[in-house]
Amino acid sequence: MTKKIFITILLCVLTFAILLPKNISAANYGMSISPPLLRVHIKPGRSITQVYKIENLSNNDKTLVAAIVPFTESDISGNPVLNPKATAPWLSYFSLANSEIKFNKPFPISAGASEQLILSLSVPETAPLKDIYATLIVSTYVNSVDQTFQGSALRATIGSNLLITVSSQAYPDTILRIEGFYPAKGTVIKIGELYFADSITPLKFTATVNNEGSFTAETKGVFRVTSGKGKPVYLEGILPVNVIAKSQRQLLNTNGNSFEFSPSLSNIGSHQLSLEIKTDNSNTTSTINIIFFPLKLSLGLLISLLLIISIVRVTSKTPEKST
Amino acid sequence: MKVIYLITLIFLSIFFTTTEISLVYADDTTLLKISPMMFQNPQLDQKMKVIYLITLIFLSIFFTKVETSPVYADDLKSPTFEIQMSTINITGGAKSSTTYKLTDTVGQTFQGQFNSAGISDLDINFGSLVPGIPSLLSNTLTVTTGSAFGYAVKAIEDHPLRRSDGVTTIPDTSCDLATPCLQADANVWGDNARFGFGYNMSGTDVNIADFVNSTYYRPFPVENIDQPAIVMSKGGIATSSAATVTYKVNISGSQAAGTYQNAIQFIAIPAF
Repeated sequence: MTKKIFITILLCVLTFAILLPKNISAANYGMSISPPLLRVHIKPGRSITQVYKIENLSNNDKTLVAAIVPFTESDISGNPVLNPKATAPWLSYFSLANSEIKFNKPFPISAGASEQLILSLSVPETAPLKDIYATLIVSTYVNSVDQTFQGSALRATIGSNLLITVSSQAYPDTILRIEGFYPAKGTVIKIGELYFADSITPLKFTATVNNEGSFTAETKGVFRVTSGKGKPVYLEGILPVNVIAKSQRQLLNTNGNSFEFSPSLSNIGSHQLSLEIKTDNSNTTSTINIIFFPLKLSLGLLISLLLIISIVRVTSKTPEKST
Repeated sequence: MKVIYLITLIFLSIFFTTTEISLVYADDTTLLKISPMMFQNPQLDQKMKVIYLITLIFLSIFFTKVETSPVYADDLKSPTFEIQMSTINITGGAKSSTTYKLTDTVGQTFQGQFNSAGISDLDINFGSLVPGIPSLLSNTLTVTTGSAFGYAVKAIEDHPLRRSDGVTTIPDTSCDLATPCLQADANVWGDNARFGFGYNMSGTDVNIADFVNSTYYRPFPVENIDQPAIVMSKGGIATSSAATVTYKVNISGSQAAGTYQNAIQFIAIPAF
């Protein structure tokens, strides 16, 4: 009887442990915005409208505020350098077509609900022909903080970038220059302008591109390796990223990593490695020459030979037993 | 080049088969002596010597000639068009066959939704502070982005923790005296006699070369004076990247009584 009671209690405990709902933790604040990037070519005198979807992913109603923040710079990874206090005359080109939501005015959004921001861009006929860069930011709105609260009230902001080219041409002139196309340190020997590398060791390469023009350009192109006889050996795409005017970006392969070439035993001798970027109206190329030679293989063979000879020598010296 | 390589290897084989190498001290004491068997093993018959030499030459030829055949990549060019790697991600990756090796991406690089920028707690309430005893609080930042170009989360404060009089502040930390920290350069803050307010980061997409461990802190940059500091970043797609922010405040015994507050903004922006 005692055994049955024990088993019943055990089963009950296990049942409750397994079936009872676990605690669900949700972010106190969460939000999404899409699309994350708006890339537009627009002629003066034209208008466009883009709808942004904002979602409140938290379990609480929130008050948000939307704003347009201009920027002129980005870092080497394409992260805009924002200055929330910056102003620009072209900020007046932007407006929200929503009936109840305006820039810099708080608006409510229910828990789990979504809201649409209808962004309108109207470029006047007299607008200067140039690029304008901005980020549409949506922030949590804090009206006041409890006076007994000691610490930090956090504001969360999420943004979407706007890269606008105001031009009367479909493809305004772009000037890209590839710089710093080098093998990673430690993998090559450099003598003068020549690089020497082992023929079976993978090589990584870094490169940056400068946009010296006044308009955004995209880094469409290839990383190409050709043998001394001009035969293509390896081909890899360049990750197409936007390089804003007067800025620098790191070039990466389509996987978002550094360019890498793994030579085979047949890749002996001089090879040409090139990065080629082709925009709608210009090309840019950067080339380096590398001489591959079987360094590791030769050393391995040499060591093997020495070992074999040593073994044979030691073996041959073993004294014979006297009979 | 291959011929030179092959000749070199054969030469090396013959050299080590027929030449004696010795490392000798100044007093003529031999440290190491490597001699081919031709000299050292007179009992070995001539046939074995030939076999040995041929084996070495064969190995040299084997390592020189047994290899992949020459590879040719598609040039993707014609007199009328040139296909550069485009930007639509329909397919991509590394392909190879006996005649070519190619890594490509076919299609438009798609910028997905920038979503789930979340903060686990919007209120960092330290309550009562005890001089010389640091108070620590933490929350979690979560980011998911479909952007192929990555993202960055930056942080900035409106001002140091400040009393309602608008004048008295708890200064932003400069970390320990021997290990001073900056807004973009974390360092050790373990001395309880060093006062101020700062933060530590840990978790996914955090620069762990800067925030080496939980003793490393930075002061927040100040709005209208400094640029926001990057606290999380990634160069590609991020799926539920989560980082813990630990806030630390330590006051001196002479800190004026009162309630100190500030606002910290975390800005999550995709790259382009």
